[in-house]
Formats: sequence, C-alpha cells, structure tokens
Amino acid sequence: MADYIKFVDVTKCDGCRACMVACKNWNDLPAEPEEFTGSIQSHNTLTANTWNVITYDEQVTANGNFEWLFRHKSCHHCGEAFCEKACPETAISHTKFGSVVVDADKCVGCGYCVNNCQFGVIQLATYVDKKGKEYRKAQKCDLCTGRLEEGLRPACVTSCHTNCLVYDDKDKVLAEAEKRLAKIKERFPNANIYNPSGIKGTTTVYLLADKPTVYGLPEDPKVALSQIVWKDYAQPLGKMMLGATTMAVIGAAISTAINKGKGEHEGGQDHE
Amino acid sequence: MDFTRRQFLKLSGAVAATIAVVELGFDDKKARAKSKDFKIAELKPTSTICPYCSVGCGILVYSKDNDVIYSEGDPDHPINEGTLCSKGTTVRQVYTSEKRITKPMYRAPGSNKWKEVDWDWALDKVAQNIKETRDRTFVHKENGVIVNRTDAIAYLGGAALDNEECHLLHKLFRAGLGLTYIEHQARI
Repeated sequence: MADYIKFVDVTKCDGCRACMVACKNWNDLPAEPEEFTGSIQSHNTLTANTWNVITYDEQVTANGNFEWLFRHKSCHHCGEAFCEKACPETAISHTKFGSVVVDADKCVGCGYCVNNCQFGVIQLATYVDKKGKEYRKAQKCDLCTGRLEEGLRPACVTSCHTNCLVYDDKDKVLAEAEKRLAKIKERFPNANIYNPSGIKGTTTVYLLADKPTVYGLPEDPKVALSQIVWKDYAQPLGKMMLGATTMAVIGAAISTAINKGKGEHEGGQDHE
Repeated sequence: MDFTRRQFLKLSGAVAATIAVVELGFDDKKARAKSKDFKIAELKPTSTICPYCSVGCGILVYSKDNDVIYSEGDPDHPINEGTLCSKGTTVRQVYTSEKRITKPMYRAPGSNKWKEVDWDWALDKVAQNIKETRDRTFVHKENGVIVNRTDAIAYLGGAALDNEECHLLHKLFRAGLGLTYIEHQARI
C-alpha cells in the first residue's frame, strides 16, 4: 500500500470551520462553547473533545497591511511521537496508516503524553463511570483511522471545500506541495513545508504561509534522547526483568513442589 | 483437589508461559489500538438538500431507528461534490438537538410567554389574522391610481426556496393579497 498523508495547505484555507464541525459530527464529540476573548477564533486551543481548531493569527505585513493567517490545528501524527514515547502503558501506537492512536482500554489517564506533546495536541478527558467515579482518558485526533480502514478519507478532509485539506498519496502530495510552495513564495516569502525531520516526518504535513513560530509551532521538534532510551530500552528491559523474576519465582515453586512431591509419596505429608 | 505430578507441571508451565508473554510484552510493537466500531457500517444513507443557504448542497444522512447517526456532503452531488460548510455540516442537529421545536408555538399579544398550540389552531389563527389585518388596512386607490395593496403585512422568504416556489409565493402574496413588503432572508 502506498503511503498516504493528510496535507494542509493553509494558504487555501478560508477559515470556514467545516472541518471542526465534521470532526465533532463523525466522532460524536460534545460542543464546547467558549467565552468571546476578542478574537474570531472559536476555541483557544485543542481540548480532549475538540480535536481540531482553526487558529486565526493576525499580523502586520511588510507594507503595513493586515494579514490573517488561518491554520487547521490538529494532531500531526509524528513519525516519532512524543506522546507514544511518553506513554508508560503502551496505550499509544502507530497504525499502518501512520496515524498515532490512543487505545482507551490501555490508557490509565496518567497525563504523561499531555505534558510531552510539543504541539499541545493530546489532552485528558474526564468521564464518570456507572458508580459515579471519575476517570480520565487521553483523547486526540486519530486521523479517522476507522474511516481509513473502510477506504474513506478523514471526516475533516471530506468536508473541506477549498481543497486546503487533502488526503492522498504521499509522494504525489509532497511533489504538488513543492510546486505550490514555489508559486506562493512571492506573496508569502517565509512560506515553508512543515514536515519536521527531527521527529521522522509527520502524517499531517503543512504548507505554512509563514515561519512555524508565527503559528506557535516548534521550529525543529525532536523527541528527547532520554525519552527514547526510557521507552525503547529501559522499559522493555524492566518488563523483561519483571517477567524473568516472575518466571524464576514460579520455576522455584515448581521445583520445590516437585522435590517435595518426591518425598511426600512415601512420607504421606500434607500437600501445601 | 488432587493433582498428579504431570497435571501440576502442565498447569505450572501454562501459567509461566502466559505470564512470560504478558510480562515480556512480545506483541507490544504490533499491538494496534482497537479502532472504534465503524458507526455507519450497516446504515444506508438518505440523500437530501441542505436547508440553509441558496447554494443547495447535497447531503447524505445516515439514520438508525429514530436517530441520525451521521451526515456528510454527498460526493455525487454536482454542486458541492461532497464538501460542506460549517453550518451545513451541523444539519444532523436540526433533528437531534434538544432545542428543536416540534410543535407550533404561540405568544399572545402583550404576553412574554410562548405556549404550545395545535397545528389546526395555529393555521386558523394565521389565516384569521391575515384576513382581519388585510381587510382593515387595504388601500384600493391612492392619488387616483388603483393600487390594491396592504402595507401592514410583510412576507419573508428563505434562501432554500427555488424559482418555482418563489413564483408561486409571489403570486399568492403580491398578486393575491396585495403585499408590497416581500423580502428575502439573505438580504437582511
């Protein structure tokens, strides 16, 4: 299967917010009305029940005009994901589509992923169980993995009427992105393709109209080495040692029992 | 409970093996998060037209029993080709919203409360009021010219009306009742 990616050309976005509603509609997420804070942006940032939001950044251009920069802010689905590396329960994993998904059954709501995501994407949602006890689960965009499995595009992409959001063959999309970048350079001299190599690329690639920092994105995100060591080496080793210990204990128990058994046959002692 | 030595060994071996697999996490890397049930798998979409603006986008509505499960732009519709705006995307809530009004509501003159009424009563009331108002305010002649109009009633149309509906409404309200204030929602 060819690699597919979601591509966001922010210069085509007209800020209609259909992607936000489509996401809520498909994923059955509750509305989260927020107070007016002086900006037309509907939500301050992503939350556990708002998996994508259009950010509206207004800035003054070189010739004194105002310019409004829209960005469909959502999970980047990093090739090397901060959240996945931070998760102590292995609840976060990559699918064959390159999407990073949270397994709600495994998630214990510790929030390590929330603290580690450099993009501020993943968040904890609070639920109440039948006994009235509160519990938390990490929630974020899953690139509509359920739809991808059925051969459909993500809900946000289907709703987009300006083709700002595209879900298509990676090579094709990236080649078109380069062409588009060359085309818009005159109007947006700082335009760039945001697909950070420090995190082994992302499954949601952006064509930004200005520097990443203008949109509040890290210039060159990178998963800390300590985190990689912890997740990929220390944790499996720890689990292995725990497994080895368990097996040693059980093995010892078995051999003891066997040895005991030998004596018991004749002696008729109590089994214990 | 009596175990033979063989049984005991078998059991212990099985337990150890299970624990080994679980604890060592052999399948950790391959473990895939269970994706949610595909909610529209068994459902047949019904096509409809967006009720909001005059563009008239096509929408597919996925319903189950007495509930709307999902709605999205109709990819086969020539106008929107599967896309929708933020308002059209919310069309599911026209049906599912708790705020939806399902009965005609009446607020009497001077009252600050709405009350539920029957359709028959509401339609009669509208007809009576139109008749009474028109009769009271009808102008036959003005400055020697026959005008046959009333300025006391206004009509407000919607963007989803098509040409033929607009034609019929004009016939009824302008030619039939003599209204001059005929407006359209999109112009206000």
